[in-house]
This record gives sequence, structure tokens and C-alpha cells, in this order.
Amino acid sequence: MRRTVRLLSPVNMAAPRSFALWGYCDRGWSRLMPGCRLPGFRSCWPGCPLGARLLSQEKRATETHFGFETVSEEEKGGKVYQVFESVAKKYDVMNDMMSLGIHRIWKDLLLWKMRPFPGTQLLDVAGGTGDIAFRFLNYVQAQYRGKQKRQLRAQQNLSWEEIAQKYQNEEDSLGGSHVMICDINKEMLKIGKQKASAQGYKAGLAWVLGDAEELPFDEDKFDVYTIAFGIRNVTHIDRALQEAHRVLKPGGRFLCLEFSQVNNPLVSRLYDLYSFQVIPVLGEVIAGDWKSYQYLVESIRQFPPQEEFKEMIEDAGFQKVTYESLTSGIVAIHSGFKL
Amino acid sequence: MATQLLRPLGPLRLLRRSPGPAADVPLRAASHGTSLLYPEHIPTSPLQKALLAVGSAGMALYNPYRHDMVAVLGETTGHRALKVLRDQMKKDPEGAKILQERPRISLSTLDLGQLQSLPEGSLGREYLRFLDVNRVSPDTRAPTRFVDDEELAYVIQRYREVHDMLHTLLGMPTNMLGEIVVKWFEAVQTGLPMCILGALLGPVRLSAQNLQVLVSELIPWAVQNGRRAPCVLNLYYEQRWEQPLTSLREELGITDPPYPPLMS
Repeated sequence: MRRTVRLLSPVNMAAPRSFALWGYCDRGWSRLMPGCRLPGFRSCWPGCPLGARLLSQEKRATETHFGFETVSEEEKGGKVYQVFESVAKKYDVMNDMMSLGIHRIWKDLLLWKMRPFPGTQLLDVAGGTGDIAFRFLNYVQAQYRGKQKRQLRAQQNLSWEEIAQKYQNEEDSLGGSHVMICDINKEMLKIGKQKASAQGYKAGLAWVLGDAEELPFDEDKFDVYTIAFGIRNVTHIDRALQEAHRVLKPGGRFLCLEFSQVNNPLVSRLYDLYSFQVIPVLGEVIAGDWKSYQYLVESIRQFPPQEEFKEMIEDAGFQKVTYESLTSGIVAIHSGFKL
Repeated sequence: MATQLLRPLGPLRLLRRSPGPAADVPLRAASHGTSLLYPEHIPTSPLQKALLAVGSAGMALYNPYRHDMVAVLGETTGHRALKVLRDQMKKDPEGAKILQERPRISLSTLDLGQLQSLPEGSLGREYLRFLDVNRVSPDTRAPTRFVDDEELAYVIQRYREVHDMLHTLLGMPTNMLGEIVVKWFEAVQTGLPMCILGALLGPVRLSAQNLQVLVSELIPWAVQNGRRAPCVLNLYYEQRWEQPLTSLREELGITDPPYPPLMS
């Protein structure tokens, strides 16, 4: 016997009271649980008179973009994973080639905007190869050393015992700062760990495999949350923003460095020309991978512009949200606070 | 009705901006959906082809192990030569048959057992021996991507798959010297710019002794044979497995190599 399912409200305008979905199976009307995903009913649809129309509507609802392609939301995560798995080894080389080294300045600017002090707990999401994390550690170390120097200079007339005590307490050159690097992609984390050991970063960092939409951390844990060139690859950006809000301490800061909309028409044309003509070619010649870099430049175009993204951040509960466009808007740094 | 269903699902801002292709980005190549001429096709603009040609040539010289770069160079520069080749194939009865039936040489289409059982000295047996000795496989050929004509894409794919046959016919191993000799032969036969470039620039990486042998004996032999032989793409190799190699060489006018380069 074929099971047929008919959905009532919200489709049925006669019963606008609840937005709960009611499903009619052989056994009669039963309320569908909120976690129920509509696609699961596809097998029952053939018998439903409204089936075809609802099916197409709900299909549109669970589709999203992958660059300029349209894919289902379930597919997108997997496809993005594959892209980063294949680009991981050449990621840094390609970044330098594609941005002519300018990406280093952008990341430095992000750190200068952050101005972390020793003792800051940073969560760097989608931080795979560790660029932001290493800069953070360098910055904090430099700060701490500067502070030490100032203290020493100020306490020149202290007794020897007190100075010796100061020296004995100094084990932690980071002053308690810590960065948690979280990424969904194992390959990117692997490359990051290799870089860390090659460049001598041992203390103050931890590597975690995790999904930005569902972070494996408790709430109110971090002082700063950063996501650099990662949020446009997330399937549900709003969920990532909500998670960011959750794990930040009250008073914590959200910082996002991401490609954005260019505000100058001439620069925009040149940028488009460069993005679509040159970058996939660079990807093919240097990394042997055209399609991943085609996806990367298309995903930039699909990302909301500065104002719209600012509104999304505000929707997630952040306050005092501001943004700063860099290089004529090629990238933008968005900042918000959890208050 | 659509909005009624969508509203409880939250403000899906991302879906408001429809994934718009060519309209708002005038200079992108349409690489999705129906504009593909064959499965692996990546449509490219003339500027992209030029950049690819230059980039792949540079990278192939810098790192000779990047065979994919040699392939890309061939695809982006070979349009005119491929048309000439295709027309040549159409004029020849065997070549026209190949164009129609589109045979492919890969491990899945070859019957290795049958080839193994063929008598010594036959094309099939010698081809298999060549694959074994040099430890190569017909499946390492990258698929064509940047050729914007479906038939020409097949022609260049066929050329790539026939490359190993040429090694067998000419008796050349897959070391640097052997590859250059085959490239000279192919350059004369096909006129593909990639072959010509490879033939001219490949010797740069050879030792002085090898270079001397190459220039004095191997290149003249390869050029002579290349000129004399009919178009090698016109041979339906799949139907000639049993033919003895010597008789095939006679048919094509290929003489024995003067100085067989040592297998490395």
C-alpha cells in the first residue's frame, strides 16, 4: 500500500494558526517533528496532489551555490572539503602568486586591528595553515617582550632579590595567550602543523578539527574569534555567526577577514579580468588544478557585500558592528562585539 | 505559496542573490552546464589560452616531470595543426574509420591477456613488452580539456594515446633521449607546435655526449622517417595487433634506429 503524505499548514491558508507541519500518513494526521527534513518525504510524494509543486519549492529551499553552480546543501560541504583537500599543499604558494604577496599585508592588518594583549584566548576558525595564528603568537610575544623591557627599565632601582624573582617567574613568553586553530579539513590542518614545527611554534597553540557551524567548544570561552578567508566557504553562514557569538566571552570580539565587493568601477573591471582570466590559469600551471581555483574566484562573487554581511553579523547578536574595506574593497575586515 | 514555505526556514539571504553567471561578470568563462562539448571540457577565452600556453611552456621547462603541462601546451597551441591532422585523417580510409569509431587505448579497452598470447615480434606483443620494460601504463594520459572542438579533442587524445605506439615502432625507450627522438618524429609528422617546441628545447637538458649522438645521428634518422612515413594517426592499431612489427615498419618506411639509446 502506498503511503501518501499531505502537508497542511503553512501551505493550507485556512489554518494559519501554527506553522507546524502536519503530515497525513495511513495512520492519520500526525505532527511532524521539527527536526524532520522535508526531503525525507520524497518517497511519499507521488501520491500527493500538491506533491509536485511543493517538491519543487522545497527543493529550491535546500539548494545553495557552489561558485556559480547550484548544488544541494548536503553536497556543498563535501565539495568544499574536496577543493581544500586538493589545494592544501600548494595553498600558501598559490596565495602568494594570486595576490602577489598582498594577502600577507591583509593578514597583518587584521592583527593590528585586533591588537591582542598577552593573555588573550583566540579562536581562529578555518585557520588551517595557521597564518593568523602564527601572526598572533608573534604579536603577543613582541608585546610581552616590550612590556618586560619597560618593566625592567622602570624597576632599575629595585633590589637584586626582586629582580631575580621576576626572572624566575618568566617561563611563559606569551603571557598566557593561547590560540586554538580550528578547521574542518584534515589536510589543511596537517599542512598547518608541519608549518608550525618547521617555523618553531611550540607553545600556545592547539589544533582542533571542527565545523564552523557546530563548534566543539563550550560557550563563553574565547576573547577573540577570527575567521580569515573561510566564512564564504561555509554552507550556512548564519549558523557560523551564531556559533561565533556562542563561544565568545561577553565583551569578546568577532573579526572576519574576507573578500568583499569592490567599490571602484575601474578596479572592479580589472579585478574581474584578473580573477577569471588569470587565477584559474595560475591554478592549472602551478597546482595542476583549474577547477578548485575557478570555484574560489566564483565563491568570492557569491559572498554578500559589506553592508549585507554587516547586517548578518548583527542578526547573530553582535553589536557595534563595523567594517573596513581594504584595497578598494577587494577584502574587508568586519568586526563585532558580544556585549 | 513559495514564500509561505520559505519563511519558517529563516532568512536565506544567500538564496536571494541568484547565482548569476555571465550577466554581472562579463569576462568569465562559462564553465558549467550545457556549454561543455565533452565531459572534461573547460571553455577558455583566447587570453586564457595564451596565458596557459606561456605558463605551461615555462613550467614544463622548469619541471620536466610535469607531463600535464606538456599536454596543456599541446592543447592550447595546436588548433591549426589539429585541423590539418583531422582533414588528413578524413581523407584516408583507415583514418576516417578511426574518426568515426573513436577507439581509445586504455587499460580498460585493451585485452592484456590476448596481447600476451600473441606471437613474439607482433605489434601487440612488442607494445606490451614496451609497457612492461619502461614501467608505463596507457592510463597516465591526461584527458583533453582546453580544445574547443569535440572532434579535435578526440584527435589530440588519439595522438597522445598513439605516442606509446610510436615508441614501440621507433624502438625508443622513455628516457629523455628517447622522448626527444620521438618528439622530432612527431613534430615532422603532425606539425603540432608543442612537438616542435619540445623537439627544439628538450635537448637543452641533455648531457654533451647524448647531445652529440642526438644531433649527428638520431635527429636526421627521425626526420627522414617522419617525412617518409604516412600519417601515423591513420593506423588503426587496435586492428593490427597481430601484424608483425617488422612488416609494419616496412609498410611505414621506418628503418632501424642507428644507435639504440640505452634504456635507463
